[in-house]
Amino acid sequence: MLTSNSLNQTFAIANSGLDLEFSFTKAMEGVGLSPEIAHILWLPLPMALVLVAAVVGVLVTVWLERKISAAAQQRIGPEYAGALGILQPMADGLKLLVKEDIIPARADTWLFTLGPVLVLVPVILSWLIVPFGQKLLISNVGIGIFLWISLSSIQPIGLLMSGYASNNKYSLLGGLRAAAQSISYEIPLALSVLAIVMMSNSLSTVDIVNQQNTIGLLSWNIWRQPVGFIIFWICALAECERLPFDLPEAEEELVAGYQTEYAGMKFALFYLGSYINLVLSALLVSILYLGGWGFPIPIEWIASWVGQDPNAPSIELLTGSLGIIMTILKAYLLVFLAILLRWTTPRVRIDQLLDLGWKFLLPISLVNLLVTAGLKLIFPSAFGG
Amino acid sequence: MQGFIKKIAEYTREAVDAANYLAQGLAVTFDHMRRRPVTVQYPYEKLIPSERYRGRIHYEFDKCIACEVCVRVCPINLPVVDWVMNKETKKKELRNYSIDFGACIFCGNCVEYCPTNCLSMTEEYEMAAFDRHSLNYDNVALGRLPTSVTSDPSVQPLRELGYLPKGVMDPHNVPASEPRAGHLPNEILEWMKENPKDQTEKELNKINN
Repeated sequence: MLTSNSLNQTFAIANSGLDLEFSFTKAMEGVGLSPEIAHILWLPLPMALVLVAAVVGVLVTVWLERKISAAAQQRIGPEYAGALGILQPMADGLKLLVKEDIIPARADTWLFTLGPVLVLVPVILSWLIVPFGQKLLISNVGIGIFLWISLSSIQPIGLLMSGYASNNKYSLLGGLRAAAQSISYEIPLALSVLAIVMMSNSLSTVDIVNQQNTIGLLSWNIWRQPVGFIIFWICALAECERLPFDLPEAEEELVAGYQTEYAGMKFALFYLGSYINLVLSALLVSILYLGGWGFPIPIEWIASWVGQDPNAPSIELLTGSLGIIMTILKAYLLVFLAILLRWTTPRVRIDQLLDLGWKFLLPISLVNLLVTAGLKLIFPSAFGG
Repeated sequence: MQGFIKKIAEYTREAVDAANYLAQGLAVTFDHMRRRPVTVQYPYEKLIPSERYRGRIHYEFDKCIACEVCVRVCPINLPVVDWVMNKETKKKELRNYSIDFGACIFCGNCVEYCPTNCLSMTEEYEMAAFDRHSLNYDNVALGRLPTSVTSDPSVQPLRELGYLPKGVMDPHNVPASEPRAGHLPNEILEWMKENPKDQTEKELNKINN
């Protein structure tokens, strides 16, 4: 922890980046409020902002999914709702909002209602640790990435709950599959994250990104952890129940899995949850492996070449916005890859799924962890000793 | 030990192969995004039916001699020819003619065999009805002409694939003046008239071989 703190300090000296909270507090003090009240006033702002960002991100993702799917199949896709059909997900959401909320007669009302909430809340909560810049995140939690892993393991409980409470055999099978899938892919996921954590000596997402942005593109974790990157991406797809791994809702066999009995807003919660999870996973891949907000060439270098002070307010603002754009760009490239994968790969069987998880990804991620540890001992300078 | 290493090598090769195939598949999907859709957005856009399109049958009451050939050549004897013998003139007097398009298969046999050419096929294909009995067209309904796709102001007419210029797949934004691929029979005749006979024969042989 000491090393990470000192690391943080060195970075803070080098470039603290855009700090909105600091500016906000200053402005409030200028109005005549005490720092405590300014802090309390500040708190809900990033939360609301991130919530809005997540929902807008989902709308964009849904639109992209439909448009890219259409392009891959030589169709046009949504076209009439807004320019190029950009408002289509909004129309879908609105329709689900005003639909009748049906609870099956012999379902367990409480569990049935709690299921989708339990699926959505941890996913939204995980946005807590997603950094868009040095200081552009809700909270730089020390256990950052571990928080995400533990939150994401709440999800299967919700899935199982809704599958069980629906009083429908398809729902139950879907819920069981979802739980089995989430649990078996959590382990290689956590192990590949552990390799990253080992290299950056910190669980905090900000430290992980900072450690990758020393010399730009070449210092991104993907070069040091190519195997980990692939494992993480496969596991993230499995956690999101994206296409090669969408067995829990395999429509040919299970109608819609645990979502079968859901309609209206409760269904919309599942839908929203799955897409927020997809965007979140893509963001985390870009944070853990693709240098987060880092530009391929460090901004400080460019600033010094041009002869600008990197700590000047205008440059800081530019860097901050560029960081946000880079994070989102990387994440959406991965979303694009996920959509492409969706129309390329056939669905795996449940036995193949568990084989892949336990017999392939788990040993490989263990070996990856061991190799990383060894490399860290041999080349401490390159692997964050 | 040797066997174990061999096994691992095989396993690794399989994994690499799988990754390779996955990459190939992704490349195919990615490549497909280059291909533009040729969607015809019915009902705002409609394809122009081809010249010999076999649509709803048109019937001219005044030409009909009530010979019932159409009934005899019809696979299911569908046309109903309602006539009476006029004793004085000793001629058939046609009272009604109807075809049930709920049962018709649009094979065109009746059109082919009609001795007076009172039957013909139109380009109409939108005959949806709420009640199947309303598909039974009488001589008045059969006598109506359909609206042509090209003359309908609310419809953007599009050419079918066979009527597009050579190499063009998308019917959108193809100017009407652009000729279709190949030559029409009258164009070939014109060309033969202009060129000496032995030369055209050589050309034709070249085409035929």
